[in-house]
Amino acid sequence: MDHPIVKLQNVTKRIGKRTIIDRLTLDLPLGEVFGFLGPNGSGKTTTIRMMVGLMSLTDGEITIGGYSVTKQYEKAIRHVGAIVENPEMYKYLTGYQNLIHYARMIPGITEHRVHEVVRLVGLEGRIHDKVKTYSLGMRQRLGVAQAILHKPQLLILDEPTNGLDPAGIRELRDYLRQLSKDEGIAVFVSSHLLSEMELMCDRVAIIQNGKLIDVRTIRGSQAETESLRVLIEVDRPQGAIEALLTIGQSAVIDGDNLIAIEADRESTAAINAALVAAGIKVYGIRTHVKSLEDQFLEVTGGERIG
Amino acid sequence: MGNFLQLVQNENMKIYQRPRTWIMAGILVASVLLISILWVSVGGRDTSMWEVAFIESSILFLLVTIFTVVIAAGGVAEEFTSGTIKLLLIRPWSRSKILLSKYISIIMFAVMLAVLLFASTILVNWVCFGINASPEVQPPIRGLNGISPVSYMLQYYALTLVSLVVTVTLAFMLSTVFRSGGLAIGFSLFLLLGVNSFVALIAMLEYKWIDYLLFIHLNLTQYLDGNPMREGMTLGYSLGVLGIYYAVFVALTWYIFNKRDVAA
Ligand SMILES: Nc1ncnc2c1ncn2[C@@H]1O[C@H](COP(=O)(O)OP(=O)(O)OP(=O)(O)O)[C@@H](O)[C@H]1O
Ligand SMILES: [Mg+2]
Repeated sequence: MDHPIVKLQNVTKRIGKRTIIDRLTLDLPLGEVFGFLGPNGSGKTTTIRMMVGLMSLTDGEITIGGYSVTKQYEKAIRHVGAIVENPEMYKYLTGYQNLIHYARMIPGITEHRVHEVVRLVGLEGRIHDKVKTYSLGMRQRLGVAQAILHKPQLLILDEPTNGLDPAGIRELRDYLRQLSKDEGIAVFVSSHLLSEMELMCDRVAIIQNGKLIDVRTIRGSQAETESLRVLIEVDRPQGAIEALLTIGQSAVIDGDNLIAIEADRESTAAINAALVAAGIKVYGIRTHVKSLEDQFLEVTGGERIG
Repeated sequence: MGNFLQLVQNENMKIYQRPRTWIMAGILVASVLLISILWVSVGGRDTSMWEVAFIESSILFLLVTIFTVVIAAGGVAEEFTSGTIKLLLIRPWSRSKILLSKYISIIMFAVMLAVLLFASTILVNWVCFGINASPEVQPPIRGLNGISPVSYMLQYYALTLVSLVVTVTLAFMLSTVFRSGGLAIGFSLFLLLGVNSFVALIAMLEYKWIDYLLFIHLNLTQYLDGNPMREGMTLGYSLGVLGIYYAVFVALTWYIFNKRDVAA
């Protein structure tokens, strides 16, 4: 793995007596879409605010590309593009004027690049209209446009799919995956839409009450060899368990006529053969991939905002 | 890194792309026209253009101040209330420079309105009273040394601009501290209009500390006619007091803006 572009070390934020972020440590490598998942009020936006220098840190350090966000802000933020919460734009300016506004703040963005980005987010038709006439999804697209204008190394998007239609979500997802793979940039996306994260991210960090609970890999080599939970419907569950023990496979009863085993793809076929050989009738085999949603509810204990 | 002038250009775009800015400029010029036309139709043309230009300037400069205070009060506060401050700050520029670009564009707006008022009073009144004026009409002698009307006007504008800059800086500070445009406008105008109407009264009090009050010094044109509000006060002294207030306003504004957590 490349060395990380972003390092959060023991990042802590206290406001008054409340600890909003508690000793968060996290590394983000280039070339990955990294999800940041947590229930409402868990501290996603607060973490992002600290990453982009909008909020000070009570304790700890954040570096981006080796530069400290608190001490060398201008260098650290130079290659970062971000949306923080809603993409608020100047409503009395046109979409195009908004983009020009941000383009002027970073050297080297040509007019050609602005047009390119407008096409990319699919706003050609409305870019010269005032932003106050835009729908939520169009504003979100404009938000993405300003974030990628300067081809950042790190893209931080706080709930970017909020307000997008299914086609827009899909486009964004494909685009983010392509950006991370082809251009090798790091993408950091926060969301509480679990299914969304599964489709978009390589890895997901789960945060709750300001504490990092877990980091899970969703894609990549690990996922393919991971054992799955396999449910097999048979006529005699007890007999099936005994038959499987003879080939060294443990199994448990999981409901009427159902047994559950942990097995990978290849051994599932062998198990089926063993059952048939033992004279057990097999009515069905289902693999059950634990969705991130299950995992998420599992680790956060389905606990509510607090 | 980057070009600071482009930041100022951005701030200017945010001021001049809004209709309210042009409405303000329109009201200012229309007021000049209105007063001059009324004057001609009621009092005829037997007045010096300088007399009318001067009266209009002294009345309408208040409008320039109010309009500029409105823009200055909006400057930082509106970025916070609309949430645009977030996307503005996450660029490779220090907060100080971003704030400076805003401040410069507001001062430029103040100067532009003052120049607009000056130009329109001269132009309109030259048309109304100056062209083919009867030779008997003499320009009024104002000021201490009987200087020419043009240089009197210029001095008047210069001194008023100095107070305007201090007032605008105050509004800019309130905008940054309170992050609420309404509060900044209300508070600045209250101080300006409310306190100003009592200032002559306050000035009569004998206490020493009154010499250090901001509002005693905001009307610098008192020195142009040689009758300071308080015994023994000079232009230099007033400028010194204003300078100290100005430095405090600027220091506070920049300090707070740099330190603040942006949770908009
Ligand atoms: N300025 C503030 N002052 C005090 N508490 C705050 C402030 N901003 C956020 N908080 C608290 O910090 C916690 C985390 O808020 P944050 O906005 O980071 O959550 P989030 O994970 O982004 O939630 P959501 O999914 O709703 O966007 C919340 O409990 C919130 O009440
Ligand atoms: Mg949030």
